[in-house]
Amino acid sequence: MREAWLIARREYLERIRSKAFRISTVLIPVFFGLIFGAGALSGKLSKGPRHIVVASNDPPLAESERAELMAASEDGKDPSSRPTVDVKAPLTESELAPLNAEVQSKQIDGYLWLNRRPGTTRVEATYTSGGSADFVGKDRMQDAIGHALVREELEKRGASSEEIQALLKDVDLKTQQMKNGKALASDASKRFWGAYLMTFMLYFAVVFYGVNVAHSVVAEKTSRVFEVMLASAKPESLMLGKLLGVATVGLTQMAIWIVFILLLSASSLWMALGLGGLAAYGVTPLRLIFFVLYFILGFFLYSSLSAGLGATVSQESEVQQFSMIIVLPQVIGLVLTAYILGNPGAWPVVLLSLFPPCTPIVMSLRMAAMAVPAWQLALSLVLMVLSIYGMVWVATRIYRVGILMYGKRPTLPEILRWLKYS
Amino acid sequence: MAPLVELDRASKAYEQKVAVRDLNLRIEPGTMFGLLGPNGAGKTSSIRMMVGITVPDSGTVNLFGRPFTRQSLKKVGYLPEERGLYRKMKVMDQLIFMGELRGLTAELAAKRAQAWCERLQIADAAQNKTEELSKGMQQKIQFIVTLLHEPELIIMDEPFSGLDPVNATLLQDTLVDLKKAGRAILFSTHRMDQVEKLCDEICLIHRGEAVLSGGMREVKSRYERNRVIIDFAGDNGFLSHEAIAEFREYPGHVEISLKPHGDAQALLRAAQQHAQIYRFELVEPSLEEIFIRTVGEKVDA
Repeated sequence: MREAWLIARREYLERIRSKAFRISTVLIPVFFGLIFGAGALSGKLSKGPRHIVVASNDPPLAESERAELMAASEDGKDPSSRPTVDVKAPLTESELAPLNAEVQSKQIDGYLWLNRRPGTTRVEATYTSGGSADFVGKDRMQDAIGHALVREELEKRGASSEEIQALLKDVDLKTQQMKNGKALASDASKRFWGAYLMTFMLYFAVVFYGVNVAHSVVAEKTSRVFEVMLASAKPESLMLGKLLGVATVGLTQMAIWIVFILLLSASSLWMALGLGGLAAYGVTPLRLIFFVLYFILGFFLYSSLSAGLGATVSQESEVQQFSMIIVLPQVIGLVLTAYILGNPGAWPVVLLSLFPPCTPIVMSLRMAAMAVPAWQLALSLVLMVLSIYGMVWVATRIYRVGILMYGKRPTLPEILRWLKYS
Repeated sequence: MAPLVELDRASKAYEQKVAVRDLNLRIEPGTMFGLLGPNGAGKTSSIRMMVGITVPDSGTVNLFGRPFTRQSLKKVGYLPEERGLYRKMKVMDQLIFMGELRGLTAELAAKRAQAWCERLQIADAAQNKTEELSKGMQQKIQFIVTLLHEPELIIMDEPFSGLDPVNATLLQDTLVDLKKAGRAILFSTHRMDQVEKLCDEICLIHRGEAVLSGGMREVKSRYERNRVIIDFAGDNGFLSHEAIAEFREYPGHVEISLKPHGDAQALLRAAQQHAQIYRFELVEPSLEEIFIRTVGEKVDA
C-alpha cells in the first residue's frame, strides 16, 4: 500500500507541477467558452437574407406576405439589419426567369414564389436563393406564409386589423418543472444548455484522463522505467498508484473549475450579463455531487481498461487504435442527448443509464431532465463499482504481463492467455 | 552460511523459444560473480528470474536461503539491462522517490543520494531534469538507484555497456569497494576481459545452458597452459622441439602453441642451450579463448 501511495504521490506532484496541467486548466474552460459562446453568438448574429422579392400570381397575398416578413424580422433586431422586401405581382410562373437571373447575379438574395391555385385557398410556396436557406430563415418564412394566409382569410371575413393583430400575436410560453411536488419556474433552454455543458464536460474529463493514463503507461514502457520499478513494487501497486494519482489530478482540476464557476456566477459581471443563477441551469448540489461521483467512477472504469490496453502496445502512436473503445460507449449517450432529455423515464433510457459504460453520461442527462428515483441512482453506483472491480481484475493481469513485452503487438488470444497467468 | 542466490535446475521458455534450460547457480556472500555469454544466451532471462520479474517454468529460485518472496527483494539492488528513469523528473527527486520506494525515509534517501552523487562526480547535475543529462550520466544515476538502499546482494545486467573507459573504470572500482565491504555482486556481460579482472566466480551461458561454471582459478586451471611466449637472442634452433605444435616468429620474439601435454619445461631447457633467454612465459588461456574453445566444441557437437 505504501508503494501505491508513493507512486500516486509522485504521479500527482509531477503532473500538478507540469506546464501541461496549468495550460489545460486554463485552456479547456476557454475552449468550452468559445464553443458555446460561438454557438450562442452565431444564433444572434446570423442575418437572414438582406434583399428578397415576393412574387405571386395573387397581389394581395404577396403584399400580406411582405408585411409579415417585415414584422417577423422586426423583433429585437436593429433596423439596419432588416431585409428589404420587394413585391412583384401579379406574375405568372413563366415570368420567373428574370428573377432567377437576378439571384444568379446576386442582385437579390432570393425570391419567394407564391402560387395560388385559382379559386382555392391552397398556395404553393417556393423559395429560391443563391445559398442554402438557413433553418431560422426557413422557419420564419413558413410562419410568415401561414400568418399571411390567415390574415387574408380573416380580412375576407371582415375582421378589423386590430383584431387580426391581436390574434396573430405570438404567445409567450413559460415553462415550469415539477420537482418534489413543487412546480418550479424553469427556463427550458438554459436547462438544456446547463445539462448539455455538464454532460459534455463529464465526457471530456473521462475521455481526456482515460486516454492520458494509456499514454503515460506507454511512455513508461518505452522509457523502460517499469523494470526498475518492478524490482521494488508489485505491478498491482504500480497500476493502482497511477490510477489514484491521475484521478486526483483530475479532481483537482475540476475543483478549480467548480470554484471558478461558483465565484463567477456570484460576481457582478455574471449578473450584469443577465445570465441568471446556477439553479436556472439546473445545477444543484445533488447534481454536482453526482457529477464528481460519476467522474470518479467513469474514470476508474475507463482508465483501468486504458492502463491494461496501454500495456499491450509499445508505441504511443498505437494508443490511437484503441481510444475508440473508450470514446464509443459515451458518444452513444451524447448522440442521444435530445431523446434522453425528452424521455428521461422511458425504459430503454433507464436501461442505458444502468449500463455501466454509459451510466455517467446518460444518468447525468436524466438527472437534468427529471428527479431520477433514488433506487436507480443507488443501483447505478453499485453496478459501476462492481464493473470497476471486474475491469481492474482483468486490466491488472494484462498489465503485469504486458509491461514487460516489447515488439509485436499481442493478438487477442495471446491477451486472453495472459489472463490465466497468476 | 546459505548462498545468497541459488538457482536449482531453473528453466524458462517464452512461447516457442527456450531462454534458460536447467540452470544451476550459487552465489556465496562476499563474492563477485560474472554471468557470461554472447548476446541472446539467456543472461537477462536468468537475472529476471532471480529478481522475481518472471517466474521459472520449472526448477526453483532461492534468495537468502529461502524460496523467492518479494520481501527478500528489499535486500537486493537490481540494475536492469534496459535503463529506465522518469525523464521529466529532477535527478534528486527521482533518487529520493526510488529510495522511498525501497523503504527509506525521504531524509535518509536524500542524504545517501547526495553522498553517491558526489562520489560518482555528478553532484552538479542533481537539480537538472533527467532528460537533460548525457547517457553516461543517466547510467550513473541508475547505478545510484540500485545501491541507495544498501542492498546485500547487487545484481547488475550489463552494467558497463555504453560507458566510456574513464566512467567504466570508476564504476568498476565502486563495485570492487562494495565487494570489499562484504556485498555479493552478480553482473552479466559479454566482455570477457572485464570478468577476468573483477570476478571470483563465473558462469558461462550459451544458448540457455551453463557450459562452464566455478571459481575463476579453478575454471582456468581446467584448461592447459599451452601457449608460450619467448623473447630471446641467438640461435632459434629450439623451434624444432617436439613439444611445439605451431609457432609464429618475429625478430627476437616467438609465440608458440604447444601440442597437447607438450612439456614446456623441456622446451625451456632446450631453448636455454640454443639462445639467450630474456623472457619465457607459459601463458594461461584467456577467458575469451576458453569461451571460444568451449562454445566451439559445443557448437560442433
